[in-house]
Amino acid sequence: MNEQERRQYLEEYHQAKEKGPSFYPEVVVKDAIVALLVFLALVALAYILGAPLEERANPADTSYTPRPEWYFLFLFQLLKYFPGRLEVIGVFVIPTLMIALLLFLPFIDRSAKRHALSRPIITGGTALVVVAVGLLSVQAVRETPPPADTTLGDPTATLYVSNCAGCHGPSISVPPSTNLHAVIAQGKHEGMPAWSADLTSDEIDALAGFIVSPDGSRLFTENCGECHQASELVASDPLELRAALQKGADYAPHAGLPIPQWTEALSAEERTALLNFLVAPDGQRLFAVNCAACHGRSVSFSGDESTLRQIIQQGGLHLEMPPWRERLTSDELDTLANYVVDPSSAPEGQELFSRFCTECHGDRVPVVADPAQARQVIASGGGHETMPVWGDILTPEQLDALVSYTLEASRGAPLELGQDLFAQNCSTCHGDFGEGGPNPSRTDDIIAPISSAEFLKTRDDATLRAIVSQGQPNFGMSPFGTAHGGPLSDEEIDALVAFIRSWEEKPPVEFPPEIASRPLSIEGPDIYAEVCAQCHGDRGQGLIGPSLSGPGFQSANTDDEIFNTINVGHAATAMIGWGEILSADQIHQLVSYIRQLGGGQTGPGPGEVSFKDDVLPILEAKCGVCHGSLGGWDAASYQSVMESGDNGPVVIAGDGGGSLLGQKLLGTQTIGGLMPPGGELPPSEVQTILDWIAAGAPDN
Amino acid sequence: MAARVSEWLDERLGWRKVWEAIFLRKVPKTNWYYTLGSAALFLAVNQIVTGILLTIYYVPTPDHAYDSVQFITGQVPAGWLIRGLHHWGASAMVILVGLHMLRVIVHGSYKYPREVTWFTGVFLLLAVIGFGFTGYLLPWDQKAFWATIVGTRIAAVTPLIGDWILRVMRGGDELSAVTLARFFGVHVWVLPAALLSLILVHLYLVIRIGISALPKRGE
Amino acid sequence: MRETKRFDRRQFLGALTWGIGALISAGLGIPAVAYVIGPALQRKEAQDWIRIGSTTKVELGTPTLFKARVTRRAGWIENEEELSAYVRTDNGRDFIAMSNICTHLGCRVRWVSGEQKFFCPCHNGVFDKDGNVLAGPPPRALDRFEIKVEDEQLFILGG
Repeated sequence: MNEQERRQYLEEYHQAKEKGPSFYPEVVVKDAIVALLVFLALVALAYILGAPLEERANPADTSYTPRPEWYFLFLFQLLKYFPGRLEVIGVFVIPTLMIALLLFLPFIDRSAKRHALSRPIITGGTALVVVAVGLLSVQAVRETPPPADTTLGDPTATLYVSNCAGCHGPSISVPPSTNLHAVIAQGKHEGMPAWSADLTSDEIDALAGFIVSPDGSRLFTENCGECHQASELVASDPLELRAALQKGADYAPHAGLPIPQWTEALSAEERTALLNFLVAPDGQRLFAVNCAACHGRSVSFSGDESTLRQIIQQGGLHLEMPPWRERLTSDELDTLANYVVDPSSAPEGQELFSRFCTECHGDRVPVVADPAQARQVIASGGGHETMPVWGDILTPEQLDALVSYTLEASRGAPLELGQDLFAQNCSTCHGDFGEGGPNPSRTDDIIAPISSAEFLKTRDDATLRAIVSQGQPNFGMSPFGTAHGGPLSDEEIDALVAFIRSWEEKPPVEFPPEIASRPLSIEGPDIYAEVCAQCHGDRGQGLIGPSLSGPGFQSANTDDEIFNTINVGHAATAMIGWGEILSADQIHQLVSYIRQLGGGQTGPGPGEVSFKDDVLPILEAKCGVCHGSLGGWDAASYQSVMESGDNGPVVIAGDGGGSLLGQKLLGTQTIGGLMPPGGELPPSEVQTILDWIAAGAPDN
Repeated sequence: MAARVSEWLDERLGWRKVWEAIFLRKVPKTNWYYTLGSAALFLAVNQIVTGILLTIYYVPTPDHAYDSVQFITGQVPAGWLIRGLHHWGASAMVILVGLHMLRVIVHGSYKYPREVTWFTGVFLLLAVIGFGFTGYLLPWDQKAFWATIVGTRIAAVTPLIGDWILRVMRGGDELSAVTLARFFGVHVWVLPAALLSLILVHLYLVIRIGISALPKRGE
Repeated sequence: MRETKRFDRRQFLGALTWGIGALISAGLGIPAVAYVIGPALQRKEAQDWIRIGSTTKVELGTPTLFKARVTRRAGWIENEEELSAYVRTDNGRDFIAMSNICTHLGCRVRWVSGEQKFFCPCHNGVFDKDGNVLAGPPPRALDRFEIKVEDEQLFILGG
């Protein structure tokens, strides 16, 4: 633009202005109308759509896929086309260039021409940019979500990296029969925490899948990650997953979605890897998800591996049901048939069902439409429920895992099952640990412990099985075996016996029960050694129970109080009332023996242990590395020893066994693990600390 | 009475001259596209008013931000409206500023003698984008948090000083309370100050030079 | 004629402009006022029966201190506060509950069983066992809570 052109422009502009309207009100009224429309549009948007607010920010949630505000979408989309080292072009070069172009536009386009059509380059370039921004934005919306993985990666991989890689490195190889879910959830080996506290069950499943099949995780993120999160699909029904992969867009929940035929998009190996990721070849989980519905909780199989593999692979009719007409009356068959067709129509059938059918059917009531047909099937038995052809559904790895788990589980002693059964059926009379107690069915009778070494030694498994199965009607014990009308199957009784037998190694109660019927046969010190020492220590120094020899206990309790405590027990603790077992005389003997323990003990007595000279050096040497610098309990000084700690005071003066510090050293704690984590302290050091606490934990 | 008051004020303020200079000036014939700029101005006022109202309840710390936004939306009378106007006003602002800029480009209005008006306009656009970016984090919800993580990380790609920019933006290595506080400070103090100054210059120039006339094909 | 018509049009447009301005201002201003003063006008949360403990803990004739935790909401912040009350009964059936906050300046009064009086440690206010002022600066008797007994449990009305 030269001088003349400028003058000419000003001249023409001046004329245009003179001919034009006044700003107020002719022009400003248009502005007002548009402002009103804009305002109304905003109010409408606020009213109809509101202002969105998602979940509270969670920095720990690495699975969240961020989406920028719409006006940044084109920029995000642009970044997709500049991967890796080219990123700087998309992020920096292009935006900076655009802004510079925009800013210096008046210097770039210096001609005097102003009409859009007279400036084809500027108009065209602008149109191009507008179209590009529009297309990029549209594309970004279509490709939801935006490129989360370029910045955050595969969410399951992230989970693995942040939780497992620190100890396990980039990958873990596990044998096929490993129950990965259980290992991760409960923690298995030294130093591995129980992740169930930090991770959801779904996340653990995803991790298990990732560990077994990292490729599957990657494939999942690439192909499914746009719509699904791994944690929502893992451990789903393999039938559904397989169907979704095979049918592609024809799979009902995927209908109408723009997804490819997975059978073409993914190779067979890739599909296998994907399925291995989604349903980790973890036998226990596979069994729980796929088999337990029909086979119940107890795994039992007596054949060899190849038979089992064949059965699982081929599916079909393999469960032989007994012909129930031989064992049930006609009325019972009718009731069951009606119950199976419609449980609400025959509630009385539930009892029959739980007695006879749940062993195989679990809690799942088979679906039959017609009572007559149901009766026919139940009465005649035989193969009647079709098992899916798992060979077509599970990947080879999953089959391996399932087979080896089933074999393993049916071989191993079902201690856990036995424990559950014991808790359900036996503990009411025999106590939680078989310690016995008052007999509810016969007054003045006490049930002897069945957990004592003596009891277990004199009864072999067959006898125990017979007792459980037939009961002991003379003593008020009803029969428990199904053969005698009880609720337990032979397998369950086996499990129960195995559980009871497991006490033999370390019986919870050594004390022979006959003592109760021969009250005068043993004296105070012996009773103490047999009964009290288990919890209170052989010299009353306190173990699980509080110290009886320390001055805290001795001075705080009168003889009568001690007598009463022994007599009726402590409701809140494991201390039971011995009044029913011991005579008053015996309890008196105990009281005086406990008084002796307080007075004439050997070893370092209370007051002789010094905190400064004896206790603190141990604490400094053995505990100070962590306790002092890492928060929580601080072992550095008397004050901090007594007052710091996340779980309240760790020292209860006079009560070594009740103090958290004592418990941690003895391994009797209820929270966390034994301290120090590397192994117990030498007994003498433990004793020093316990003696100091027993002496009232003085600052000496 | 009203006439006497306005007379009294005029003697002291000289408001009539100002009124005449701003409103009673002649302008070239325009069309409806010329309202885009004033609509953007209206939105700026809307954002300022609703923004000020939001700060009455909003607290820019990680432990209160989300709760206070929830409180505004759910508990305070008309809180949903104020927040809705601010939220949607932000989007509308980007659209209208963009359209206004297109109008200016199409009409060649950035040319002599309005180059400086154009510069301030480009900076206004950048300010609006800055508002969008900083305001995004303030509700402290999932979207806010993660989009800002990504946004700041993108800035870190800048050659040479990228890491430094990232740290300055976040106020440290991680997105934290410090980040929230500084985004809040920038959103309610730094950028508004810049925006108001730029708008003042922009308007002054528009009034001083006059709005551009519709260009004719034949020139 | 033409002149007046033009004048009318200008006047109309001016009025329209101001009208729209007023409309938008009202549309923004009225909610703004409600927004600013709204929470101040919100009524205090309704009082609720708060369980403070078992009737068996009250000794006959002796005011017994009970404490209960109540949650108060202010804006978006929830605070747990302790609410305490002295409960007294003479027959085990009729209970009265008194605030332990001195009516003078809000210190906590305490029951001194030797003297059978409540004493306020701040300015030596003294109340009898029913909470009536015996001496000192307190302007009125200790505040009472409404109290009820359900299933051997004491409830007071508070919030």
